[in-house]
Amino acid sequence: MVHVGSHQTDHPAKERASTVGSTLIEAVEVSAGYDNRRERTRLIALRDISLTVTQGEFLAIVGPSGCGKTTLINMIAGFVKPLSGVVRVRGAEVNGPGADRAMVFQDYALLPWRTVERNVEFAIENRRGYVPKAERRRRIADALGLVGLVGFEKSYPHELSGGMRQRVGIARALVGEPEILLMDEPFGAVDAMTREAMQAELEKIIAETRQTVVFITHSIDEAITLGDRIVVVSNRPGTIREIIDVDLPRPRFDERNDVKRSARFGEIRSHLWALLSDEALGAKSGSVTQQEGETR
Amino acid sequence: MTHVVPADQSTQRAAQTETITVSRYAPFRSTAITIVNLAVFFLIWELIARAELINALFFPKASAMFAAIYNGFADGTIWPELSHSVSNFMIGLVISIVIGIPVGLLMGASRIADLILSPYVWAMASLPRVALIPLLILIMGFDNSMQLTIIVLSAVFPIMVNCMAGVKTVDPSLLRAGRVFGTSRLQTYSKIILPFTLPFVIAGVNQGIARGLVGMLIGELLGGGGNGLGFLLDRAGDQFDAPMLYAVLILLAIMSVGLIQSMRWLEQRAAPWRDTART
Repeated sequence: MVHVGSHQTDHPAKERASTVGSTLIEAVEVSAGYDNRRERTRLIALRDISLTVTQGEFLAIVGPSGCGKTTLINMIAGFVKPLSGVVRVRGAEVNGPGADRAMVFQDYALLPWRTVERNVEFAIENRRGYVPKAERRRRIADALGLVGLVGFEKSYPHELSGGMRQRVGIARALVGEPEILLMDEPFGAVDAMTREAMQAELEKIIAETRQTVVFITHSIDEAITLGDRIVVVSNRPGTIREIIDVDLPRPRFDERNDVKRSARFGEIRSHLWALLSDEALGAKSGSVTQQEGETR
Repeated sequence: MTHVVPADQSTQRAAQTETITVSRYAPFRSTAITIVNLAVFFLIWELIARAELINALFFPKASAMFAAIYNGFADGTIWPELSHSVSNFMIGLVISIVIGIPVGLLMGASRIADLILSPYVWAMASLPRVALIPLLILIMGFDNSMQLTIIVLSAVFPIMVNCMAGVKTVDPSLLRAGRVFGTSRLQTYSKIILPFTLPFVIAGVNQGIARGLVGMLIGELLGGGGNGLGFLLDRAGDQFDAPMLYAVLILLAIMSVGLIQSMRWLEQRAAPWRDTART
């Protein structure tokens, strides 16, 4: 396996609409792993990750499967505590989930016994701070309007297609107006056509709501079309292989300006492809050492 | 798949529906089939019995069986025993539910409770119920409480084990969603774990009913209490009263099918999201 030290490329402060490019999320030399108590080993998922995400930025994370992408997003969400290093949001150390961060899950994670509107309401009914009923209704309606689910308020998740379920997942994440939207392969389980349509809609929605997004994906094209920057994570234990600036104009899903056919898109694409296939091959040849177990 | 705006806001669901023509009799079709089916069954039974292919001592005519049911109700031999069995069973089931559900939920939620209780629960859940009869008679005699105890001991463990399984198999991504959206410990239980477990609870009660009926019968057959449908069955056997034997069996079948079907109805009501996954 090629050893690549984590490094960080400087990037110009992103100017997106009115938001100033101040640091919102910050990971400093973070390592994470999972203990296997039976075998008394610890699987190191991520090693020495340092990363900053500026406000209003759309950060895409790509990497081979099992490289620890999900662990990284789980640490930002506050599910997973780092073994060493620190993750900060707005300068404060992350100590668990919070209302400032919402997540969209690959498997939707909707409550099957709740209707669409009650699923969306789930995001704003648990935390302290009473929101009046009328205000809730309005916010739910807004969120459902944003994702194009008007008319499906009373439907149950099992009555909807995969793409529509994920719209519910996105509406649920947006309804609490979080600063940060964490998306863990949100379109991984929907079909290719729906996927394209939903990428376009996501770009439109984010342009309106101005969330900072951390977006995990397997798809190189998805990362380029959506991301302001792309973080390439290496094989396990995941380290940052490279950070790529995507200097393509927005909106990227505009009929008059087909970003996917531009020369720059092709360049970034082949560069990413080279990096990732390198990692994929590394995964094969390095499969013996992949366990990376550390006896405690 | 861009913005879907319903053409008609008055219909709450935007999913387009068209009216189709269905025969007026369609809802009754399955009922009709069942009735014809049963009628043919009893008719064939009657014909075989009349042909005396099988000794009438083991195989009475269907008409004789129906006559036994009718006469049994008319002269008051069946009704007291039936009501004794049904009320005993219902009391036993309620006790089993009241004990089984909370203990099962506790075992699912708390590792310590599971570790402490599971050896006993599994031993009791797998031990054949009949084996307990001599001990229970020794403790409680031929009293009604012995019959009730065997019902509870039969029904409570399947309920417990299913509730435990329900809590343990809660979809982890739902729990993650709960954490993201700020559920407290209590809210995690009330909004995620309990609704998720509900179908398991119902399945457990279903099994509890099936096992409880067995418990009820062995209690009445072997307990020597002198009442209940089991007693009626026992006496009919001793008196070579084949029509009565069959009559009691039919009553038992109706009772168990009725209970199981009502639970299935309840299950579909309680967990409508599951029906597309199954049927």
